[in-house]
Amino acid sequence: MNFAERMLHIDRRIIFLVIGVCTLLPLLYPVGLAIKVSSEVRGVHDYIESLPEGSVFLLSMDYDPASKPELYPQAVALLRHAFRKNLRVIGMTLWLPGTGLADQVMTQVAREMGKVSGKDYVFLGWSPGSGSLIINMGQDLYKAFPTDYYNQPTRELAVLKGIQTLRDVNYVVSLAAGTSGIETWYVYGKDKYKFELGGGCTGVIAPGLYPLLRSGQINGLIGGLRGAAEYEVLIGQKGRAVAGMDAQSATHFAIIVLVILCNVFYLLVKTSRKQGEAR
Amino acid sequence: MAFELLLGAWVATGLTLFIFTFLYQDNPLFKLAEHLYVGVSVGYTIVKTYDTVLIRLIYEPMVKQGDWSLLIPLGIGTLMLARYLPNATWLSRIAFGFIVGVGSGLAIPRIISSFILKQVEDTVRPLISIAQGAPTFTYNLSDPSSNLNTIVLLIGVVSVLFYFFFSIEHTGPVRVAARTGILFLMVAFGAAFGYTVMARMSLLIGRLSDLIEYADPQYGRASLWLGVATVAILLLWRVQRREQPPDTG
Repeated sequence: MNFAERMLHIDRRIIFLVIGVCTLLPLLYPVGLAIKVSSEVRGVHDYIESLPEGSVFLLSMDYDPASKPELYPQAVALLRHAFRKNLRVIGMTLWLPGTGLADQVMTQVAREMGKVSGKDYVFLGWSPGSGSLIINMGQDLYKAFPTDYYNQPTRELAVLKGIQTLRDVNYVVSLAAGTSGIETWYVYGKDKYKFELGGGCTGVIAPGLYPLLRSGQINGLIGGLRGAAEYEVLIGQKGRAVAGMDAQSATHFAIIVLVILCNVFYLLVKTSRKQGEAR
Repeated sequence: MAFELLLGAWVATGLTLFIFTFLYQDNPLFKLAEHLYVGVSVGYTIVKTYDTVLIRLIYEPMVKQGDWSLLIPLGIGTLMLARYLPNATWLSRIAFGFIVGVGSGLAIPRIISSFILKQVEDTVRPLISIAQGAPTFTYNLSDPSSNLNTIVLLIGVVSVLFYFFFSIEHTGPVRVAARTGILFLMVAFGAAFGYTVMARMSLLIGRLSDLIEYADPQYGRASLWLGVATVAILLLWRVQRREQPPDTG
């Protein structure tokens, strides 16, 4: 077995170790590589920026703890922006396992920004149905959510004053880890009740959502941790996503090098086998 | 620091390290964390569903507000449970029929409108723009709405459709179109894979960021102590496995 063959049969745990080191080192010793903001992330930011004070912003955190590293920083950045703009914020989730996580991020950012539950924001929690829930909210928000997450009657909440249905919501952003998520909000919500819709998503589902962006069905898309980092740059509050970008670049570089090396070794093995057969 | 935060940090750190041990090889620590994850997820789902659906959406509106019309959906939903009664299984078909009927009725028109008509509308764009009364052609590849990209999109859609057109043999011009379709598909798969790698690395970054945070003295250096404990347990397990006689079963 020559060197190239040995390399092709390398213990995969060595590759895990290389990736682990490439991730860990930049997290411990950040370099601060530049982050360029893409037009799709700017689309969400600029729309929120254009909303007047007191406008209604609905953030649907449609993810579970498995997608926390990508979508939690997005939720934090969006909430900081919305609270800074003094928007009335409605939080909810279509994913039952993410209820506690969504409540945690809303409470944490609201406390940081000095906002009061029921007056400046409300967390509605989870309710079953996804698509039919959105239709229900489009007909009567209070029937879909008679109480908020803390069992307070929603009709009595100051933050919801003047809001009857989804038609009264100015902007909806769904942070999605899959279905139900952005597509559900478009199909059963925006297409019917004509509010503006933006999205944030995990990297895995981002390529499938670009057709919605191009056709104008959503006005912006925050994709993965990279998108969250871009949003943090836009609002000028660098957080976990920006901190992770050096590690992301380092691991991508390591993977590219590994892919190239693997192909080189593969070609070397193939060539040497052909030469052996010719002899 | 509050006790629950400290406990949460230690539990999160421990379970993260236990799951990471699978990268070395399958072991009891990984299995423990895996089973805990499944159990906790199911338990959480049951409790939240009970609290939200049965208590808040059904019991409280009926008993406290007298909204007895909820008995109708409750009755239809209860029919689902008839599947467990051999003599009354047929009753569950009423509930399934209701769900399939309402679900299809709601979904089909909306999905056709959103994902077929809207997307076709976006695909069929003018190949040449008219600006100030004169025809223009924009070449900017980074602008999704440029004329050049419109042509690329058109070629991509048509060639991929040819690739999936199996009613005629892929020879001659059809073969060329289908082969072009494969190229577009490869680019799409590559983009999807690239995003998937990015997403998986983000998850690793998220966990490692937490481990770094929990290595702080305010968390009692949870990552360090639990890291040492995990390695020690793995070594003990390896030694114990070596000492065990092979199973001749």
